[in-house]
Amino acid sequence: MAPGNIDESLLDLFIFETSQNIEQLEQIILDYEKESSFTADAINEIFRIMHTIKGSAAMMMFENISSVAHKVEDMFYFIREHSADDIDYGDVADLVLESLDFIRCEMAKINTGTSADGDGAAIAAKIAASLQQKKDKYQNEQQSVTAATADNVVNEEPITKKLHNYAANDENIPVVNKKTYKANIYFDEECQMESLRAFDIINKICQFAEVVEYQPGDIMDNDNSASIIRENGFEVVFKTSGSYTNIDEFFSKLLFIRKYQLKEITEASLPQTEADVTPKIHIDDKTEQKPKAAAMSTAAPADNHTAPVATMINVNVVKLDKLMDLVGEMVISEAMVVENPDLKGLEIENFSKAARQLHKITCELQDTVMSIRMVPLADVFQKMHRVVRDMCKKLGKDVKLEIIGEETEADKNIITHLSDPLMHLVRNCIDHGIESEEERLKNNKPKAGKVTLEARNAGNDVLVIVRDDGMGLDKKKILAKAKKNGLLKKDSSEMSDSEIFNLIFIPGFSTNDNITEFSGRGVGMDVVTSNIEEVGGSVSVESTEGVGTAITIKIPLTLAIIDGMNVQVGDSLYTIPTISIKESFFPKLKDLITDPDGNEMIMVRGQCYAIVRLHQCFNVKSEITDFTQGIFIMVEQYEKTVCIFADQLLGQQQVVVKTLPRYIKNNFKVNGLSGCTLLGNGGISLILDAGWFTGMK
Amino acid sequence: MTRVLIVDDAAFMRMAIRKVLEKNGFEVVGEAENGEVGYQKYIQCQPDVVTMDITMPEMTGIDALKQIKKYDADAKVVMVSAMGQESLVREAIMSGAKSFIVKPYKEEHIVQTLQSIATA
Repeated sequence: MAPGNIDESLLDLFIFETSQNIEQLEQIILDYEKESSFTADAINEIFRIMHTIKGSAAMMMFENISSVAHKVEDMFYFIREHSADDIDYGDVADLVLESLDFIRCEMAKINTGTSADGDGAAIAAKIAASLQQKKDKYQNEQQSVTAATADNVVNEEPITKKLHNYAANDENIPVVNKKTYKANIYFDEECQMESLRAFDIINKICQFAEVVEYQPGDIMDNDNSASIIRENGFEVVFKTSGSYTNIDEFFSKLLFIRKYQLKEITEASLPQTEADVTPKIHIDDKTEQKPKAAAMSTAAPADNHTAPVATMINVNVVKLDKLMDLVGEMVISEAMVVENPDLKGLEIENFSKAARQLHKITCELQDTVMSIRMVPLADVFQKMHRVVRDMCKKLGKDVKLEIIGEETEADKNIITHLSDPLMHLVRNCIDHGIESEEERLKNNKPKAGKVTLEARNAGNDVLVIVRDDGMGLDKKKILAKAKKNGLLKKDSSEMSDSEIFNLIFIPGFSTNDNITEFSGRGVGMDVVTSNIEEVGGSVSVESTEGVGTAITIKIPLTLAIIDGMNVQVGDSLYTIPTISIKESFFPKLKDLITDPDGNEMIMVRGQCYAIVRLHQCFNVKSEITDFTQGIFIMVEQYEKTVCIFADQLLGQQQVVVKTLPRYIKNNFKVNGLSGCTLLGNGGISLILDAGWFTGMK
Repeated sequence: MTRVLIVDDAAFMRMAIRKVLEKNGFEVVGEAENGEVGYQKYIQCQPDVVTMDITMPEMTGIDALKQIKKYDADAKVVMVSAMGQESLVREAIMSGAKSFIVKPYKEEHIVQTLQSIATA
């Protein structure tokens, strides 16, 4: 558990980087699981990522995460070193994914500020057991191989010999009289890797003396040597012509040493060794230095000491949200200044110039902030591979996931809202949509089912389509269920296909009789809808029985600022998103048609369009009810067009979209409005939802 | 002021080391996310000391150490290792690493190690 005084920015970076590593690792596992083997590169990469997670978690003192990561790292170390062909990669993948789930769960706790207190012991033990099994198996195999070819073992050169060579190789060492010294060294308790510290010291001594002997002698080959050194200290005997003071100084400068004893000893007390090597001394380390300055001058100019500037930085989303809010407020303030009622009718050229410049900069600023916030859908889409994999494994189905258009971008906050609904939809597709293998073969479908995730831009919306080639929605079943639950509002014979399909989004609706672990708990599709509607999106469904189902999620590109056309109806103001407006025009009487049912329509260039009177729609009192006195705004969305009738146009303006107050949303059924905005004069304008008017959704 | 180059593939580790060093009067002159970049930045920044992670993509810390030592035999490189990497640390020492620290390290460990190596 991390201590309370942990550095916030460090923690943020830890969370960010570890989460990224988890995603990356999961992707590697899923990719290679399909191939049923890991390439050497993949094994290295998995090892490296787990090593990083382990190290970072240990630094942050999240020991449970660190220990689980350590176990996985151990396992991949073994796999890497013993490239065994018969490893059960399915089993390995399961273990890694399980570990990742554990780490992810702990990370979520850390992220929300709760303590990461999950117990990783079980999963760690599981991995350890699996690793032990692999080791045993490998050893058994090796033993049989060794019996056949005994000389196959690599003979590693003893360290002492290497070290002696190190000293003996230096021809420049002057020959002088030698003395023998013995040093007993005790390391700091927390220094870790004592055997390597000892090895390092021997290595350093070799640079000015000849090492005769050291205890324990097997520092690198014996795993227990570290604990022996920790308890008994480390002893080294060496010969040098250096003075006691010089050598003492050398030891006093060594790191991680709690205490040491240095004494000169006589030759007689020495054990018999190959000590008759010519005595050498080499204290002045500098004599063997290569000319550094020369190397520097050829490689880099001397003044080039500044570190290169990083091109990417990570920024907390909260800061971006704040920035976006501020830009929104600035757009409103700009409108308040430029359209200030006090300025009306004034001829102020310089002010207008300055205002134009201000407007230009505001627009650029806003575009830049928007672009910073845009992230591709790829991350969310890639997560679905894991969902499909888990579902297939548990349900025994074979389903392929196809991803189209993952590079499509949307606002970070909107994408965050997309993850859960998408996961639910994909689960539903596999659980309820895709048939069993036998059924598919019977219906002349390929054995493996297919789920397609597609994203594309449509105006200032992003469409995300989840499509499967399963059995499609059963209209009769849906109707029966809806009837049973009292969800039908009109006679079923009057309902269109789309109306029937949309029943599945009503809260509490669930047609699957067998509730599974993944879906069908009755809280499903309505959660999808409510999540999507929260960010101003909508969900629609198309289905053909026996062929498949496609669920389309429409989400706005961004929540924050849109171009809008302000119109007036009576005393009320409305804003129509400019992107939906095709044209505005004053009608001619001869173009107006009323059908026998009283529906009003208008002919424009030979095409007939429905008319929506805003004053009727929102029940607003208006003097202007005669078409010839007002204006028509032709609005198009999803290839459907409608003509909206309003009193007058007020002008085009960028507006900051604010959601309708919770009070209004909770107490009234609001149709046709996607939000509201503050105008320059302080008035409130309601933003029309073009989709509702065209499709009357 | 001792000028340090930090080579580590984990941004978190780089930040952690940087914070400790800057707090203790070192100047961090560069950061690199793998051995290859580390080697290039060594040439570019000419630091007094390098902290070098071992397990990194593209080029490992050991290979980067060897490259750096080839370029500048005097280079002072401190390996940043973790438990379980004993044989790699040994290789690093044989290849000329001045010392090593073990993750998770204590603040004073890294400071002492770098100070002693910089002044050696």
